[in-house]
Amino acid sequence: MTAVDPVTVEARLRDIQSITDAALSRLDDRELLAELLDRIREILQVDTAAVLLLDFSSGQLIATAAAGLEEEVRQGVRIPVGRGFAGRIAAEHRPVILDRVDHTTVLNPILWAKGIQSMMGVPMVAGGKVIGVLHVGSLARRQFTGYDTELLQLTADRAAVAVQSMAAQADRVASAALQRSLVPSALPAVAGVEMAARYVPGRGGVGGDWYDVFTRPTGELCVVIGDVAGSGLAAAVIMGRMRSALRAYALETLDPGEVLARLDRKMQHFEPSALATVLYAVIDAAADQMHVCLAGHFPPVIALPGRPAELVRATPGLMIGVVGGVKRPVTAVTIPPGALLCFYTDGLLERPGELIDDGLTRLCQVVSTQPPEAACAAVMGALIGSEPARDDVALLMIWRQAWPDPPGNIAGADGA
Amino acid sequence: MPDAMFPVEIVSGVPVVATPEEIDITNAGGLRAALLESAAHGSGRLVVDMSRTRFCDTAGLHALVSAHKRALADGGEVRLVISGAAVQRIFTITGLNHVIPNFTSLQEALGQTSVS
Repeated sequence: MTAVDPVTVEARLRDIQSITDAALSRLDDRELLAELLDRIREILQVDTAAVLLLDFSSGQLIATAAAGLEEEVRQGVRIPVGRGFAGRIAAEHRPVILDRVDHTTVLNPILWAKGIQSMMGVPMVAGGKVIGVLHVGSLARRQFTGYDTELLQLTADRAAVAVQSMAAQADRVASAALQRSLVPSALPAVAGVEMAARYVPGRGGVGGDWYDVFTRPTGELCVVIGDVAGSGLAAAVIMGRMRSALRAYALETLDPGEVLARLDRKMQHFEPSALATVLYAVIDAAADQMHVCLAGHFPPVIALPGRPAELVRATPGLMIGVVGGVKRPVTAVTIPPGALLCFYTDGLLERPGELIDDGLTRLCQVVSTQPPEAACAAVMGALIGSEPARDDVALLMIWRQAWPDPPGNIAGADGA
Repeated sequence: MPDAMFPVEIVSGVPVVATPEEIDITNAGGLRAALLESAAHGSGRLVVDMSRTRFCDTAGLHALVSAHKRALADGGEVRLVISGAAVQRIFTITGLNHVIPNFTSLQEALGQTSVS
């Protein structure tokens, strides 16, 4: 074993201490990343340090943070995995050292145009997967040592943790904002009908549940409730696309089966890996009849005056995103005055150790003909209570008023 | 790496993945990984034994549908064993009972040759 000079040992300990410094934990993730780049630049005495993060959808590395060569980030440099210097590190999952920096070895022209002579890069790994690349460059030609590589890897490991945390935080904020923008802030006002709704994110944050209520130009009331498989930003983005597409198809045709068939075709073409359940119903302008079509979704519950609530007997249809060319049956449902319709997602029915059918039974026991706000409160109180739901929950109540608003019924006139 | 929650067994040459009592967003990733790995070991057919399962949400269904599509594309087949009423209910409501071949026992799922 080669004896290492005590002065070197001391210097190395100082280097490692600088990277693993507990004080760094007080910085937020973005500051930590910037500070790590500054420190590694100083320790290794290099001119540039940069982090490129892998964008999983495009398979490209995107320059995200840099010290010494900020142009990389400003210009949004993108490197395909497998190509060039950084691309090779990500593809091969191991450190790479370059002694010649030119267009044959490095894709990013900024690096060779600036006169970088030597480069070293390491993969950033989280959960066994490459999430990015950290590389450094020197204007003077130099030989990077095994020790240099180890130190850079140590920095990359710490940076990976910060990046993961940044990504999770950004995902949570963005998906919550998207969800808020997609759920109708106010339900449409329709004569003879009252509505109320609830959306509650699950324990894991925002999921892929949504509901939508809108009117057609010819006066029909359209009702949508659905659940996209997955959670977070990815599910929220797909949900947003499904919501807009369904609205567009709803204007083209009155037939709910045809609307869902077009939605399914669109999803299978543009989002082939997505899977969702959707219920789509059209209530006619007089609010006395509903045509409902199910794509893998639970049927609504209907409560009629003087009778216990029950599941609407609608024939199931296949989920969206499984196989093309499927016909889904449409069921016609009569809505007498005073009837209450309850639409929901499966998050409402799930309780650990309990069967779905028990949840459906409990739901039918709680739903009764009453104004929709009170009905929502009763259902959420009985089925969710104070426990945070495992999955997100969407609930929508539509009540056909028992009596139409009498003409000339003006606020303030009551009691006269 | 095999997930303890989703044990894979080879029964007369066919990989059989046994699913736990509940499949949801928290463990659907493990199911996906087990299905991918089993597909790599098998000769086209893959059985998912859901006899113990009482609950499966859309995340779980997503993993099963992906495996089914992948198998079809590779000329293989995913077969499900569904014996409980709760899972049967979910597959009826989602319409998947008509799409992914399903059987009430493991023997049946292993025994019959593909209808083609």
